[in-house]
Amino acid sequence: MSLKFGLMGLLSKEPLHGYEVKSRFEEMLGGTWEVNIGQIYTTLQRLERDGLVRPAGPRGDRGKLLYELSPEGRKALEGWLGEPDSGPQQLHEDIYVKLLVATRIANGDLQQLLGRQKRAYLQRLRDLNRLEERARRDGRTDLARLVRGALLHAEADLKWIDELSSERFGVEEDGK
Amino acid sequence: MSPLVQLVDVTKVYQGGITGALNGVSVTVEKGEFTAIMGPSGSGKSTLLNMVAGLDRPTSGSVVVGGTDLANLNETGLARFRRDHVGFVFQFFYLLPNLTALENILIPAQLKGNAADERARELLDRLGIKDVADRFPARLSGGQQQRVAIARALINSPSLLLADEPTGALDTHSGEQVMELLAQLHQQGQTILLVTHDAKLATRHAARVISVMDGKVVDDARLETGEHAPSEVLRLRSEEAAR
Amino acid sequence: MRAVLVKAIADLRRRRLQAAVIFLTALLAVATGTMALTLMSQTRDPYEQAFAAQKGAHLQVGYTVTDPKPLENTPQLIGAAVAGGPYLSASVQYEFGSQKVYMLTMGRDNPGGDIEQLRITSGRWPTNTSEVALTRSFAELNHISVGQQLKVVSVPAEPLLTVAAEVVDIDEGTADLSSQHAWVLSSAISALATKSDLFYWMTYRFAGDPTDAQLQAAVNEIRAALPPGTVGGSVNYLLIRSVFNITNQIITSVLIAFSSFAILATAAIVANLVTGIVISSYRDIGIMKAIGFSPSDVSAVLLLQVLIPTGVACVVGIPLGTLGSQPLLANSAQALGLAYQPTFSPWLDVAALVGALAVVALAASIPAVRAALLKPAVVIAKATAPVGRSGRVLRALASAMRLPRPVALGMGDALARPVRTILTILAIFVGVVTVMVAMGLPRSFTAINDSETNAGHVDVQITRSPALPDSAVMNILQAQPQTDYVVAEQGLNMIVPGIGDAVNARVFRGDATKLGYLVVAGRWFSSAGEAVAPRALMGSAHLKVGDRFTVSVSGKAVPLVLVGEVYDISNLGQTLFTDWSTVASVLPDFQPFNYRIKLTPGADVDAYVRNVAAAQPDLLEVRKNDTSLIGPVKIIDNVLFAIAAVIALIGIAGIFNTLLLNTRERVRDTATLKAVGMSPRQVMVMVAAAAGLLALIGGLIALPAGVVLNRFLLDLISGSAGNDTPPSTYGVFASWELIAIPVVTLLVAMAAALVPGRWAARTNVIEVLHAE
Repeated sequence: MSLKFGLMGLLSKEPLHGYEVKSRFEEMLGGTWEVNIGQIYTTLQRLERDGLVRPAGPRGDRGKLLYELSPEGRKALEGWLGEPDSGPQQLHEDIYVKLLVATRIANGDLQQLLGRQKRAYLQRLRDLNRLEERARRDGRTDLARLVRGALLHAEADLKWIDELSSERFGVEEDGK
Repeated sequence: MSPLVQLVDVTKVYQGGITGALNGVSVTVEKGEFTAIMGPSGSGKSTLLNMVAGLDRPTSGSVVVGGTDLANLNETGLARFRRDHVGFVFQFFYLLPNLTALENILIPAQLKGNAADERARELLDRLGIKDVADRFPARLSGGQQQRVAIARALINSPSLLLADEPTGALDTHSGEQVMELLAQLHQQGQTILLVTHDAKLATRHAARVISVMDGKVVDDARLETGEHAPSEVLRLRSEEAAR
Repeated sequence: MRAVLVKAIADLRRRRLQAAVIFLTALLAVATGTMALTLMSQTRDPYEQAFAAQKGAHLQVGYTVTDPKPLENTPQLIGAAVAGGPYLSASVQYEFGSQKVYMLTMGRDNPGGDIEQLRITSGRWPTNTSEVALTRSFAELNHISVGQQLKVVSVPAEPLLTVAAEVVDIDEGTADLSSQHAWVLSSAISALATKSDLFYWMTYRFAGDPTDAQLQAAVNEIRAALPPGTVGGSVNYLLIRSVFNITNQIITSVLIAFSSFAILATAAIVANLVTGIVISSYRDIGIMKAIGFSPSDVSAVLLLQVLIPTGVACVVGIPLGTLGSQPLLANSAQALGLAYQPTFSPWLDVAALVGALAVVALAASIPAVRAALLKPAVVIAKATAPVGRSGRVLRALASAMRLPRPVALGMGDALARPVRTILTILAIFVGVVTVMVAMGLPRSFTAINDSETNAGHVDVQITRSPALPDSAVMNILQAQPQTDYVVAEQGLNMIVPGIGDAVNARVFRGDATKLGYLVVAGRWFSSAGEAVAPRALMGSAHLKVGDRFTVSVSGKAVPLVLVGEVYDISNLGQTLFTDWSTVASVLPDFQPFNYRIKLTPGADVDAYVRNVAAAQPDLLEVRKNDTSLIGPVKIIDNVLFAIAAVIALIGIAGIFNTLLLNTRERVRDTATLKAVGMSPRQVMVMVAAAAGLLALIGGLIALPAGVVLNRFLLDLISGSAGNDTPPSTYGVFASWELIAIPVVTLLVAMAAALVPGRWAARTNVIEVLHAE
């Protein structure tokens, strides 16, 4: 979803070639999301099919095609921006699953797992801090904000680990 | 290189309501390190700092700073030790309210009998508070007060700078500036021991994070400082990209 | 109201030390105040009280008659309500030890009666002709006790008399100030004197209190009614009373001055304390208001915290003060030759209680009301040590003087709170001034006493008997190799224009400049026709230095010029001093009776007295010159000393209190300073410096004030004794003392700073700084 609207957002300002879309997109995300050109073209074609983007003028030299946002596309983009991000909380990381598994097999002794994870989170915090610093140095306030969000997430994860560490673990009731 | 701070099996038992007891803590800090001590309130992290500053004595165990065993110093000796070797920065600044910023900065030097006007001017300049040198603390912002406090801590060029939640009473922006300042000092070679409960702050500048919980060191992490590609640190994913 | 009481008591418990300081200062002040009040109520007019109690005589007249019959009509003649006598009397010379003394001795069979009662303090009234009664004061001064024997040496038979009683006589005056009386049975008196020396003595008491003029008229009436030459001499009670009143006035004024000082100092400390409580409980006050205490409730809580310890101090201090005044009263009664009765006056104690509570409440009410009017939000926000530029100049000065930093910081702290600073300095000021007066006044008294008694100028005094001619006395004295110089003296009555009664003149033969009298203005007389006089005589005769006037001596005119004003309180300033040559021309047979002798340096005075007495044992009364202070002056010295000690203590309590408040309020600053490396010793230096600065300021301000107050009191005392103060007695302080006084004040203050200083030095940095 966000790749689709990301591309539409780029095209809302000016018409772009497929390759330009890829490089602009990667620049916007400051290297936190690598996409291949195939994905870009597939998405553009899907958008064109749905009537959200349309070619702007004839195919140029070396067969490049400029895409622009159609009025329907603009409408859809504004609708997406105006909608809050809702739905269930998403936990992507392995640790959450690891915790569930380890609770079952480690007979309650999670300290090693938590200790290792804590270090990893600390390192992550440090790396994110550096990234934020770099973004600010480069004048990329938007990106710094993004990193800040990640920092707070990582901090929450760290706090979660600390909380788990100070808990007295027993085997959860019937290990549901 | 000999360690600057060496705590061996330090235990502190408090009678009464004071929290923050220590239970067999051993920590070594090398010269030039920027170390953060982290932990929730009441974990003993401030007690640890007080031990290093000679503000408190352990119930058992030894505290050696710069080759001096603090157990061998009497009250006067500890005062002299703090004055000469340690700079302390507090959460609530603790400037003397009836003294101007400059006068506050000069106190540790004057207690030593030194006229450190030159150094004070230099610090004022370096910490960006030259313009408020003659103001009283009540007329300074929190950030300015903390810079004055840092200048006071540095006036005698201490080998060790101790900071106990230095940003705790500051707004985010002032807090960041103060931390930036500490980072600069570290780059210039200052050994810093920072106590905080804020992991973001701890990891931002300190390459070493000691976690204290219930009076024990539960983790001592030396973090990597190398440069990483952004995608190695942070990856935005959509459902399309997720495998 | 209940909530107010509960809160006040809870606060008191929390602030025990402050309560203790209030208790202690209030105790000292209340005890002193009660003592002063009790003494004042007693000394207001002890003579009048004693006079009423012992039915004293308003008028006493001596008659040189052989038959007392015509005297019986005199009481009706002058309208006296009661009369005593006629008592057959004589001037009798007694010998005891090495001393010989003339005393007016009366034949009297009963010490009681409706007039001139004699209160027997030990022994019993004489029951046979070989017993005698003496005044207690005389007996004690000369170490004579009941049962001891005195030899009468003025008659050839030299009979021995046994002392049967010691009595208190309303007319006796102080033992060493006025003439004394002795009593024997009326049947015994004729054996103690030659017939020609006997006379009759009568005492008269009137219904009201007659004036001087009325008494003078009464004497004139008697004189007119009896044959000429019958009335020998008269004594009226007003004269005796005025002698007492001088000392009473002095004691009273000194007491009033210093009790007010004590109260002032206490008020300053209380106001200071309450201000301190208000400051340290700003947060408390805010919370109290937030939970519904009204402004008057807040004031009440604060006032109660002060009034409760003050009340306790009163309960202890008032009985203590009353008790403490008793020995002084006894001493004073003793010295005044009056009867002493233990005194306790409930209304006076209630007055002291109400007064103490009122003064304390008043002192406390200003800060308490101010606290009540504070807005809660402001109050909570201001709950920290004072902020601002106070002491900045001082610190800069201290830095310029290269004083160590802790000293400079302490000096700044001393001035951080102007009201506290002023109140503390006031307490110190009062303490130092009092001590200066307690030091200075006794010295002035001694200087005056030395002048009165020719201390250092006269070693031996001799009185000759009429049987031994002057030339014989001079021969004896000049035969002694130790005799340095002799100034001979005789009293003489002169009629001075403008003064009704005859004026007593002292006529000196020899170099009277050597006697050491203090000259207030002009100079001592140096030739015939020159005279000096004290202020009172100059006033009543409307004379000033340089004036010429003519006196009448035995009906002959003698021109005089007043060349100087002399200091002499012995006769309330009513004596004229002149040289022998002035009267020698008009009275060729004039003879001295008293001789004042200075011995050569290193001479043995006792041996000299023995040698001269041995030359004419019956005809010379030889004694060492007694230069010791008279009783009332000793009392004033003692009272001054006691009060000065108390007020000095109060002053010290004031410093202690301020330091306590300062160190409490600044505990966080002290902890910070310790954290950045101030050593315990430096903390103590800092606290001591604050004390030292306050003491130095207080001491330096007190210095001129003490000197001025000394002058003022001295003038008051001299004035009430009919004199101007001699300029030389003003300078009671040596210049080193004027430097030493502020230095000692400084040292005492720094000593008082030791305890709060030690507390500050022991501040637990972690507890203070991490209790945020």
